[in-house]
Amino acid sequence: MTKMINFGIDLGTSNSLIAKFDKGSVEVFKNPNGFKETLPSIVGFRNDRIMVGDQARTYAEKDPKSVASRFKRKMGTTETIKIQSLNASKTPIDLSAFVLKELKGFVHSGEAVEAAVITIPASFDTVQSNATKDAGISAGFKHVVLLQEPIAASLAYANKEKSDDLRNSQWIVYDLGGGTFDVALVKIVEGELTVVDHEGDNYLGGSDFDSMIVERILVPEINRRGKFEDLLAQMKSEKGKYNKLWTVLLHKAEEAKIELSTKASAEIDLGMIRDLVDDEGNAIDTILNITRSEFENVIKDAVDGTVDMMKKILTRNSLQSSDLKFILMVGGSTYSPYVRKRVEEMMNIPVNTSIDPTSAITIGAAYFAGSKEFKQEGAAPKAQTNSQIKFRAVYNRNSQESEETFTAKVEGNTAGLFYRISNDDGSFDSGLKPLTTRIAEDLPLREGSFNLFTFKILDGQNNIIDVGFDSIQIAQGRYSVAGQMLPEDICLVKDDRSTKDTRLDLVFAKNCVLPTKGKRTVEIAKTIVKGSRDAITIMVVEGPSEKHSSTNKPIGILAITGEQISRDLLRGTEVDLTFEMSESRDLTVSAYLNGTGQEFSQVFKGQARHVDTRLLATEVLQLETKIQSEIEDAQANDNHDGAAKLEKLNDQLQSLIVESASLSSDDVTDDRFKLEDKKCKIAQGIFELTASKRINAAKANYLQVKFDTASMVQESGNDRERHQLKEILAREELHIHSTNPERIDAATGELQRLHFQILARQPDFLVGMFQHLEEIRPTMNDQAQAKQLIDHGRRLVATKNWDDLRDVNGQLWMLVPDTERAEEDVRLYTGIV
Amino acid sequence: MSIPPPIEIPRWTLVVLNSLYEIERKLEVHGDPGHAKRNVDRIKEEFEQQSLIIEDPLGQPFKETRTDLEATIVGAGTENLVVTEVIKPVIRLVNGPVSRIVQKGIVVVQSKEEASQ
Repeated sequence: MTKMINFGIDLGTSNSLIAKFDKGSVEVFKNPNGFKETLPSIVGFRNDRIMVGDQARTYAEKDPKSVASRFKRKMGTTETIKIQSLNASKTPIDLSAFVLKELKGFVHSGEAVEAAVITIPASFDTVQSNATKDAGISAGFKHVVLLQEPIAASLAYANKEKSDDLRNSQWIVYDLGGGTFDVALVKIVEGELTVVDHEGDNYLGGSDFDSMIVERILVPEINRRGKFEDLLAQMKSEKGKYNKLWTVLLHKAEEAKIELSTKASAEIDLGMIRDLVDDEGNAIDTILNITRSEFENVIKDAVDGTVDMMKKILTRNSLQSSDLKFILMVGGSTYSPYVRKRVEEMMNIPVNTSIDPTSAITIGAAYFAGSKEFKQEGAAPKAQTNSQIKFRAVYNRNSQESEETFTAKVEGNTAGLFYRISNDDGSFDSGLKPLTTRIAEDLPLREGSFNLFTFKILDGQNNIIDVGFDSIQIAQGRYSVAGQMLPEDICLVKDDRSTKDTRLDLVFAKNCVLPTKGKRTVEIAKTIVKGSRDAITIMVVEGPSEKHSSTNKPIGILAITGEQISRDLLRGTEVDLTFEMSESRDLTVSAYLNGTGQEFSQVFKGQARHVDTRLLATEVLQLETKIQSEIEDAQANDNHDGAAKLEKLNDQLQSLIVESASLSSDDVTDDRFKLEDKKCKIAQGIFELTASKRINAAKANYLQVKFDTASMVQESGNDRERHQLKEILAREELHIHSTNPERIDAATGELQRLHFQILARQPDFLVGMFQHLEEIRPTMNDQAQAKQLIDHGRRLVATKNWDDLRDVNGQLWMLVPDTERAEEDVRLYTGIV
Repeated sequence: MSIPPPIEIPRWTLVVLNSLYEIERKLEVHGDPGHAKRNVDRIKEEFEQQSLIIEDPLGQPFKETRTDLEATIVGAGTENLVVTEVIKPVIRLVNGPVSRIVQKGIVVVQSKEEASQ
């Protein structure tokens, strides 16, 4: 049976990538541990582990006896790399195979990579090419096809710009990556893409540009600002006083370099570094500025050097610049506008930047792989089951420690097998470790969390062996005597102006480990006058946060009245609330009033329940209003069954109203608790009967707003707004299945803001708004100014000056009195929002 | 076995959180006479309610199995490492008792012995 290869791999000197061709398009796979598509081509052997990529890169410079990098340049040579920790040597083929095996793990579908197109530099000879092929076979690919990197880049271009006729033309592929530079002349010879000539520099790339920024711009500037004996040497020396600063500056220089692609200058801020002082102990000014021209000056010679190489190729091939169709830019460093501009200027032909410089080669390789067949032997391999291996894991499922040892006993032939454990949250990877009859691994645990680890046993080619055990789950800080868990959500009750009701703000989530502490900042919903009886009520309830305050049990109320405050608390004043819950579930609520500087605090004992009879009566009446409106709604929607159930609850509520009205405020019996429980049950009943209605309504509203906003963005949005919409929709999965309508409403709100942002530019909307303001002019504060603005606005409408009309609308709106502007006054239950 | 793809958070969110962390560090280094820390905490709480939290790895031990940090080693030692400088903090998206890293921390690490000198 034949099958398409489909997978393309860019096996780079500094970084490698993998992509797949599928139904006409190419997907570049992301590093599951790194949020990027690239895998550093570095292999480390430390403490019995094999690590590939970023983990190995950390040690590449400081522990070269255990970590190998840049081995691609040694492919096909007899040179081997001695690994001290193994007391053995590895060939460049072995090391490349490790990188290829790691790339197989990027394929998130879990699909087996049986064959691949692997790219090689144009400079590779037959021996080097065969060595690359051997690395592929050693990594477990049954079939490997090689493709030259410049050809791959050209294929990526040809597939993207299908209308561009490349026949009878030639061009240069200019590949300036992170650490290497390659340039190749590509031509179509008898219908085939061919590399005619090439040049390169193995030690020139973006990281050299970063060092140049530090050495030639930043260090001289820091030297000017303080007294240093030999700053650069002290930075570069391992034991130097400023060695740490060198690393920080390299990172900052890289960020500044990217910023300079779009801005004329960039700031480097070292303000967060402790003890940044000169040799005499004087602090130095920590804001450094780099201009684009300074940056261009320092990299000019290096870029000119790359152009010289291109010119050499042209001279060798008796060509003029004008004989070339374009220069195709590849490699991350070609993002720099200066590189593009300088190459274009010096070569006097256009540079072509239409393909993604980082992934172009792997994309081209995948396109090629999509057209290449290979013969599949037997069925596609799935995870092998090894019944010879018996596996028994032993570990604590619950732990109070920050680290837990995972151990396992393995029986059977373990030779040539490895195991690997990684945390699903992306914080831990054991690397590949040889499988032995007993294994032990210390697993770091995140405090108060379920820690989920993936466990794999792999053969020498990174194929998974199924032993019937693939995950480790450890709950940290749970189910223990020392740390009690919270059985229900603890929520703060706040007013909700939009629904004229209350809503719950989750303070502590169910299952969080006690003791715990949380903070919230709320705003005063209505001005509280000093000395008055107006109050704000900080009410804490226990129960599911997606429900309503009336369905949950009250834990305690901290009321602050006008009589207790030292001056008026204006609407909008912030109140900092602190909630602390002890292991015995005593809750301390503290409120700091930013307006007066006063602090109020109260402790609610876990054993004692607080039921305020006055508040209970209010809540019962509030429920009555709600149930009646729900009954009307159900009847209007022909939901007779729902309406009947609500009627039944209403009957219970009516008797509760009578009972609660007869309760005195100083009742000493437990009646108040009984009534409170009854109220909660009725409220829960209402909530359950109407929950799906609210979620469905929120979802329907979201979908409608999404449709409207998407249409608006498509018709009248700019690039930024298109990007904003994409970002909001990318998060859709996080809220659309939520059981909490508020989460869905929050996303709807984001879409509505975007919608309004575009709408507010539309002439029809601006005119409509102006007409409305014209109508309400008699109510405005300053009639003379209002008249002037209206007259001006009319002229702007006539001349279709929409930008200025928007300003006039804004100024007129400011003249509308608060009473007109404010929404309908809502009844406040807690006085905080 | 399929693997969960990394979660992507809008770039602007990460930029704001990183700046917030920088402000917090600056207040620690240079003092905070205007009590700006309160505002920083306030903004952090808002993000926490959106399930995003900043984790400061400063002072934490580092070893090769940590994949939540991109570390550069300074000094000569490569064992017993601790984080001595944080260029970017770790950012997590929390969903109940489980969480995912949405930004790796960028840090400088140094052997404990050299760091204490």
